[in-house]
Amino acid sequence: MLDVSGLTLSYGPEPVLEGANLRVDTGQFVSLVGPSGSGKSSLLRAVIGLQQPSAGTVTCDLDRGDLGILFQDDALLPWRTALDNVALGLRIRGKPRPHARDEAEAWLGRLGLVGFGQRYPRALSGGQRKRVALAQVLALRPRLLLMDEPFAALDAIVRHRITQDLLDLVEGEKISVLLVTHDLEEALVLSDVVYLLGRGPRARIRERYAVPIPRPRDIMKARTNPSFAPLLERLWQDLSAEVDAVRRIA
Amino acid sequence: MSTTTARLAARRLVVLGILLSLWEVLARFGVLNPFYVPPPSKVGATLFALFADGEIWTHIEATFGAALLGLLLGVVVGAILGVSAALLPQVGEILDPAMTVLNAVPRIILAPLFVIWFGIGIASKVAVTFVLIAVLFFFAVYTGINEVDQRLVERVKTLGGGRSILLREVYLPAVTAWALSNLKVAVGFAFTGAVVGEFVASSRGLGYLLSFAQSTYNASLTLALLLLVIVFVFVLFALAGRLEKRLLRWR
Repeated sequence: MLDVSGLTLSYGPEPVLEGANLRVDTGQFVSLVGPSGSGKSSLLRAVIGLQQPSAGTVTCDLDRGDLGILFQDDALLPWRTALDNVALGLRIRGKPRPHARDEAEAWLGRLGLVGFGQRYPRALSGGQRKRVALAQVLALRPRLLLMDEPFAALDAIVRHRITQDLLDLVEGEKISVLLVTHDLEEALVLSDVVYLLGRGPRARIRERYAVPIPRPRDIMKARTNPSFAPLLERLWQDLSAEVDAVRRIA
Repeated sequence: MSTTTARLAARRLVVLGILLSLWEVLARFGVLNPFYVPPPSKVGATLFALFADGEIWTHIEATFGAALLGLLLGVVVGAILGVSAALLPQVGEILDPAMTVLNAVPRIILAPLFVIWFGIGIASKVAVTFVLIAVLFFFAVYTGINEVDQRLVERVKTLGGGRSILLREVYLPAVTAWALSNLKVAVGFAFTGAVVGEFVASSRGLGYLLSFAQSTYNASLTLALLLLVIVFVFVLFALAGRLEKRLLRWR
């Protein structure tokens, strides 16, 4: 579905990311973890087409319209109600207004926001706003969801709940996902495959871990799966080695 | 209205009443010279007489006409210039410094020049109001467009929105918000421009009457006219506030 091969990205003379290979197969949940400055977000931006690679290719057999994108600092239109914000994407895709609104209402419902449609973003909590943003993206029925630390700004409980709801929807709708996160546990609990990106600059993909926890998953119970703890241990040590390498230089 | 705000309003009215009564008493007993500070009752009577004889309406009409016409022209032209400066860099690099200079100048001093250019009729008053407001609105719209939240722009783009969607869903509402928050200031400017324009040279209008009252040392007429202008501006302020609240209810 998505194939990143030999990808090199540079802002200045020195590449941030070099020769990265990564695959997302249909229906797979893939996470990309790594230390700050390793170019995780840049890789995602390259997949979306916001950044030109200096070498390598990004191959995706989907239309642009099949991609759903969710970033940490995404904002809703403050002058549109929650409902109209969700309906916006649908209307851009050419759905007539009443139709788009009905569908938007249904998606708000699926994300637990029944009765919040007429509120303006200002009158919603941070978690509720994220849910609206998620509804906005999912309403367009993406086949591949690209996310960059989407819930980083939320507190633990809210984040837990919204992540579980997202996971249920993604599993139910068979949406493929590429998630960028710095949270190793989150990556393991959610993903089928986790990629570890080394330290930057010239960051490389260090390791690929397959996560054999069966689906559908409950993000609390997934942690008790026998494969979870050893994988986390390995991931943690590999990441520490990368960070230590940076520290020795400093 | 909640009881606390009602009480606050009541307390304020009481204080106002006390001050007015004090003024009335002091003026009647000659502590304040009524020639300079006529008692409120006399000001009220003058105001009543102005309306009773009906001639005031042509003056009100003249001032309102100039203020509203200048406001309208200033808003439209200021907005058009602001949009072009924000969207076309070649226009922006000329207009930005020019408007900044104009903004720094107290533009009211152009009034005598406009009388020479446009005569003592309504045109010179409209011109004064116009320059006051056009510059204000230029900056409202120009900054409004430049300061649009880029996250919103990116968001709408990732949802598949093109130029026209961006304009309608992001830029237009953002600019409307900026413009509306300047509307009250603009209303004040509109009356300043019209009345001062009439001061300078005119044959009609509240500014003309004010100038007449001043030259005849008629303090009572002066105060009555001031009161009239203040009331008008307050009413327009309230209307502008209503509009702002209605259109910016998402805030």
